[in-house]
Amino acid sequence: MTTSVTTFREFLTVLENAGALTEIETPVSWDLEASAVTMAANETDERIPVFESVEGNGTAARLVGDPYRGPRGREFDHLARAFDLPKPARRSGPAYYAQLIDRLEKQREPTVIEPGTAPCKEVVRTRAAEDRDASASANGSAKTNADTDANTDTNTDANLLEFPWPYIHQQDGGRYATLTTLVAPDPDGEWGRWSRHRAMIHGESRASVLFLAGEQLPNRYYYEYERRGEAMPVALTLGAGPAVTAASEMWIPVGRSEATFAGGLQESPIELVPCETNDLRVPASAELVIEGRILPEKRLDEGPFGDYFGYVNGPRRSMPVLAVDAITHRERPYLPFCVEGSGVGYASNSTSSLQVAAAGPDATLGLRAAGYDVAMAAPWPYTERTVWVIATDRPYPGALHELANFIFTTWGMLHIDCFVFVDREVNPLDSRAVVEALALHADPATDFHQFGVERMPKVPLNIYQTPDEKGSAAVGTSKSKTAKAYIDALSEGERPTQTIGNPEDRQRARDLLAEAGVAGVADEVDTMGERHSAIDQETDATRHQHPQHQNR
Amino acid sequence: MTAFRKHLEFLHRTDDCRTLSRPADCSPQVVAAEALRAGGHAIEMEPGTDREGAPTATTVTLASGVYGGIDQSRGQRTTDSRHRQGYPWTRLGIGLGIDQDPAYTDVLESLLALGERRDERDVTYVERAADATAQDLRELGLPTPPDEAWPRFTLGLLSIGSDRGSYWAPIHGTILDGNTIRARVPAAVAERDRLETGAAVTIALGVPPEALAATHLLAITDRLETPIEDRGVGATVPVIPTAGGVVPSSAEVVVETTVADRQPATQSEKREFWERLGGGATLTLESDAIFTREEPVVPFTPLGVPLSDDLQLAALSLSATLFDRVNSYWGVAPVDWLLLPAEGRLGLCLVASEILYAGFEWQLANLLFSLSDCFDKVLVVDTEISPRNLGRALGDSWVKAHPSRDWLVSEPDAPSARMPTYGRGSGGGGGKNNHEGGDSETGARLYVDATWDPRWTDEYIAPRVSFDESYPPELREAVRDSWTEFGFERESMATVGDESESAE
Repeated sequence: MTTSVTTFREFLTVLENAGALTEIETPVSWDLEASAVTMAANETDERIPVFESVEGNGTAARLVGDPYRGPRGREFDHLARAFDLPKPARRSGPAYYAQLIDRLEKQREPTVIEPGTAPCKEVVRTRAAEDRDASASANGSAKTNADTDANTDTNTDANLLEFPWPYIHQQDGGRYATLTTLVAPDPDGEWGRWSRHRAMIHGESRASVLFLAGEQLPNRYYYEYERRGEAMPVALTLGAGPAVTAASEMWIPVGRSEATFAGGLQESPIELVPCETNDLRVPASAELVIEGRILPEKRLDEGPFGDYFGYVNGPRRSMPVLAVDAITHRERPYLPFCVEGSGVGYASNSTSSLQVAAAGPDATLGLRAAGYDVAMAAPWPYTERTVWVIATDRPYPGALHELANFIFTTWGMLHIDCFVFVDREVNPLDSRAVVEALALHADPATDFHQFGVERMPKVPLNIYQTPDEKGSAAVGTSKSKTAKAYIDALSEGERPTQTIGNPEDRQRARDLLAEAGVAGVADEVDTMGERHSAIDQETDATRHQHPQHQNR
Repeated sequence: MTAFRKHLEFLHRTDDCRTLSRPADCSPQVVAAEALRAGGHAIEMEPGTDREGAPTATTVTLASGVYGGIDQSRGQRTTDSRHRQGYPWTRLGIGLGIDQDPAYTDVLESLLALGERRDERDVTYVERAADATAQDLRELGLPTPPDEAWPRFTLGLLSIGSDRGSYWAPIHGTILDGNTIRARVPAAVAERDRLETGAAVTIALGVPPEALAATHLLAITDRLETPIEDRGVGATVPVIPTAGGVVPSSAEVVVETTVADRQPATQSEKREFWERLGGGATLTLESDAIFTREEPVVPFTPLGVPLSDDLQLAALSLSATLFDRVNSYWGVAPVDWLLLPAEGRLGLCLVASEILYAGFEWQLANLLFSLSDCFDKVLVVDTEISPRNLGRALGDSWVKAHPSRDWLVSEPDAPSARMPTYGRGSGGGGGKNNHEGGDSETGARLYVDATWDPRWTDEYIAPRVSFDESYPPELREAVRDSWTEFGFERESMATVGDESESAE
């Protein structure tokens, strides 16, 4: 039995014990300052900042800057610790993927607990029915009363502005909730569907939510709820624990539930609790839950925003409106946030780490389940979402086209522009090996392939389309289309020398180097599946331990 | 000028080199290859008791990764060794005496200066530092690669004397017995009369970085016809006369030899990377005299593995040459930097340039294809990208370049590139992409335009996200001031904002 952490607070303790966290008692402002500190920490591979005192904050909420950012080069390490994976999984990308896929294959049904024992109900605040969005009440399905037998006071003043939502980049259009899990109804299951969507705060009870058609939950909203003139009940949660956050980053097929995959990740059932104002169930340990409805035929500005591309995309676009019905939270909640776009080039924020550590293993498993024999599928670390590297063979002519086609027409439609296929011996997380494969094995004459010319949908967050081309289409995709491509960088047996000596000698060499203090030798190696240094350098031990609060 | 042992001292002083004893049970080349694969520190291996017996006074200490060694594609990792900043050109830049944290283009320009023709000679002759003698080449204790029978030396300097002066070239080879060396030298040198049987030539190991870098630069640009006394390196590196030609006076090991034979090259011959660009030839040399410094230390590199020193020297030398050429062509110097990452083994070229006018990026990329046959892929990025951020430059090829408008492939009737495995450098064919008609002598060329479209108005240009551009200066200053109070390491703050400092 492992001892995976199940709550966000336990996760912070794991980081603290690893010397990977710093608690900042000095008051900071949500107005760019917390984000600036976080970006600087991201850029320098520093500790993860926990802002214990945030100015202008009526709830004494605390901010945590990019808590899921892993150490550079081992972006999966913090999740590996959180899920208590065996040590090789902390050092090697291929080993981590193997272990996480094993967890994903052993899903567990969640359990439902009483509201009175749910940490996320320590404080319950609902908005009075008469205060709720007028247009929403005409269409919505929100319950009229808070029906909790709550263990704490129930107030009637749920107010988004009481929380210190960070203003992240000075070019942003507003303040954002970024590291979220949006819980929505699931007509095919009882646990609801989870997905990550950022929200731009517009006032006490309204936010715009980034809903891009092509993704499952936005599709439900645009093509079912809105067409029926109904509001979609949702709950936007923050700080729901690493398994929940990781599962929200995954593309889980229709008919399955992120909650069961999250249970597999942590090897124990996710505890859910009913919402106050709708029929959804949310992770009980969440730091904060915003209950509400995505209103039909209502839009608010969203963006500009410094996005995962490393650029501020614009212009402002219209996105669906989240009307707030209730907010429940823990006492002095921790609000994790992501400084998107920071450190692009060298994956170094929560999104990039979660893409590597959650989306990648999930995609690998999904492709195998679909019958494709892939060794690993992982995002290219320089871009987070735009390019993926897939290690595989070419079992028959046209196999790579078919594989790319499958992904482009399913989960990879919006964000991914290109796949790079490499030998199955190449670790997709080894950027040197991937650059080498592109430089030496991808022939411009025969190996660069496009799926037609500008016939494919594209997420409007991109920066290579003009604002006119992006437009502000009703369902959130660009007005203009784009192209999708794949690159065949398989070597056909012509891969240059990667190592010399036999495996035993190389192991001996790495041990000697580790003893001498040479950096990096305990990290993953290029060759997939190779053993790792017996001397497991505890680099974390070299970090200074700072006095930390123990009683979260 | 930096003596090689001084160069090592600097690397130690900047916490960039680790020392270990030479293992008895593992080839130094394997140890060095694993260190390179880790992309970590340079290493120094002190003599130990190896398979060939106890060390002698002339047994060399070995150093690897001293001219490159950094895997830039992975970015800076403070978790590996906190606050050790380094780039692929850092160690060579230190060796060239530029700075502890040399700017990339300063390294390129220093390299170019070593190869420049000089109108007047300004050579310094000093006493030879290597004054101990060895009777037998095997006493040097040079390392034997795995699965090979003979010890190998690499990163050597060949000097050939003449009435006009001395000619330097890179050399490497194997020690066949106590007196005999099978060596690889540039074909352009071997083809000359000076290397007739019986000619005296000298090998120097552990030479100053300026001298070694100059040999690689001159070899890959086929400029070995001019005595080094007439080039920048001749005025930079103090020398001593030997039976062959002059060699750097601080050389750790000097071997005076006589050409015994000239042999045909074979495909099985291991090659240093400069041979991939200029061709090599095989010679048999007989040792006449061996001199070493006390406790000699020499660089060596495993051959053919990623990120090896010979590869990095070739990459930087070719980058410098191309950088100079493209900035000397149009009457203006639009190119900020040009980089052939060692990670791509010279099969990929990145160039950051001002786009002078619409279509200039096409002109630039295709000029580069004309100037070098190594690569068939060029990535053009804006000058706001720093050469220190390879990840960002590569990232721009995906996020800034439109996948259907800005990835431009030529017809497959261009000469094949030398470095890719499917091209003419693949050594005997068998690559996957023999083009239609079976003619592998032609291929296509790709350039990626990851610059902003000059037709775009300012409102179309997306601002970058970075510490410097996402926060006002007062706030950045406040964060810097409070950095240690926040619980971060003082040294790490020095690198914040580095990403945006394209001007270095």
